[in-house]
Amino acid sequence: MTLNHQRTEALTKIVLNNLQHQHDWTHLHPHSQLNLPRTVIYGLPPKRLYVHPDEQVEIIKAEKEMRAGDRIPQEPELEWVLPLHLSEKWSPAEFAAVFDAIDSRPPGSTEISPEEEERSPWLAWKGSRRGKRVLLATVQDDSTVTYYWMHDGLVKPRQN
Amino acid sequence: MAAMMTSTQPPQPPQPGPIRISLIAGRYLLFSIDSVMEIRRKHGLCCVLTGTMPQNPTQNLFLGLPIELRAEEARLLVERGAAYIADETSDHLAKLKEMSSEAGDKRREAYLRGLKEKRRTAKRLFNEEKAAVKKMHEGKRKGGSKKEKAAPATDSLFESPTSPVVEAAAKKEVLPAITPSTSSALLDKDSISGAIADDELPESSAFYRYLNTRGYFTTPGLRFGGDYSAYPGDPMRYHAHFLANCYSWNDKIPMLDIVTSGRLGTAVKKSFLFGAEREEEEGKKEGDVRMFCVEWAGM
Repeated sequence: MTLNHQRTEALTKIVLNNLQHQHDWTHLHPHSQLNLPRTVIYGLPPKRLYVHPDEQVEIIKAEKEMRAGDRIPQEPELEWVLPLHLSEKWSPAEFAAVFDAIDSRPPGSTEISPEEEERSPWLAWKGSRRGKRVLLATVQDDSTVTYYWMHDGLVKPRQN
Repeated sequence: MAAMMTSTQPPQPPQPGPIRISLIAGRYLLFSIDSVMEIRRKHGLCCVLTGTMPQNPTQNLFLGLPIELRAEEARLLVERGAAYIADETSDHLAKLKEMSSEAGDKRREAYLRGLKEKRRTAKRLFNEEKAAVKKMHEGKRKGGSKKEKAAPATDSLFESPTSPVVEAAAKKEVLPAITPSTSSALLDKDSISGAIADDELPESSAFYRYLNTRGYFTTPGLRFGGDYSAYPGDPMRYHAHFLANCYSWNDKIPMLDIVTSGRLGTAVKKSFLFGAEREEEEGKKEGDVRMFCVEWAGM
């Protein structure tokens, strides 16, 4: 086992622990693939982490037509996580390799049929219209982990 | 005066021929307002105003023409056949030398004719304006003429026949001075004199072209610590969506840069965009660009 291998393994472990115990994620799985530069993780966050601004518009439209005060429940969805150390330097080529290797939806994601998407347009953002995104989990030596979204392609920012 | 200004500048049809980008001291400048409007409307380029006032060269809040283009912006316009880049230093010298030859005489004549033509137009417009004002005043005077007739006879002391001197002065009123704002009159309309050779063109940027062809306007990104601020439309109408950085395909980017830029972007309601042109491999076409957007995950 090479030193490099040991390092990435340790990194994955730190992020897995952090997600599980500090952020209450469930269904966590390390995921390796031949064409992936390193092991990535996927799992289920306790609440929904990312809502695309266009999806938000659809949701607000739909909620306006419902009874006052009613909300569309937002179920969390499975997300990809890429563990990294702060001292690392990655090139656009390497990030591109990660995005080329993964599907937009992690294995085991809830299937959404075209009929469902037609009935409730916002659901498409969890299904066919979901873009590729990974959560960059950047680890520092004091075991701080910071999480940033990285999207593949031009994705407009959220209205936060 | 104001009325004249507006009437001398009717909405002009877009200039025929390519736009002249002046390369002066390594900077790409545009001096004509028509060209500035054209590249903004048709090519999504807003660029940077750099001109200040000769009377007050230190004021830098309200800048005007010329606008400065980035090298990749100038290159993009050339690639689209919308513009050419002229080396002004050499072209200017060539033009000056030409002035002492026979061709120069013709050019000078044409220039003077142009000036005279302009002067005639201005004079005509000025006279029209004056006639209109006179008419208006006459109308008023007719209304008040009874009073004037009733009043005079008593104080003949102040009665003076309308002095001929005053009238003559009114007739000889000075025309507004017209200073041409560009030297375009010295250039032939459709020529591309001084255009620099293809191999001296600035380097093209696939990253920039990618943003521009998707309708994004860009401004210099220093205020958010990036290469560009990218707007989804004209910056007059939209806030920037991205602070953008351009890398090479195999540039090693420190994670700290990505984290800090992502954090800053989120703090100003933007997303940090970075990308690179894919290095040529088999089966990949040139100009293939990958873009990634980073924002804070909120956890």
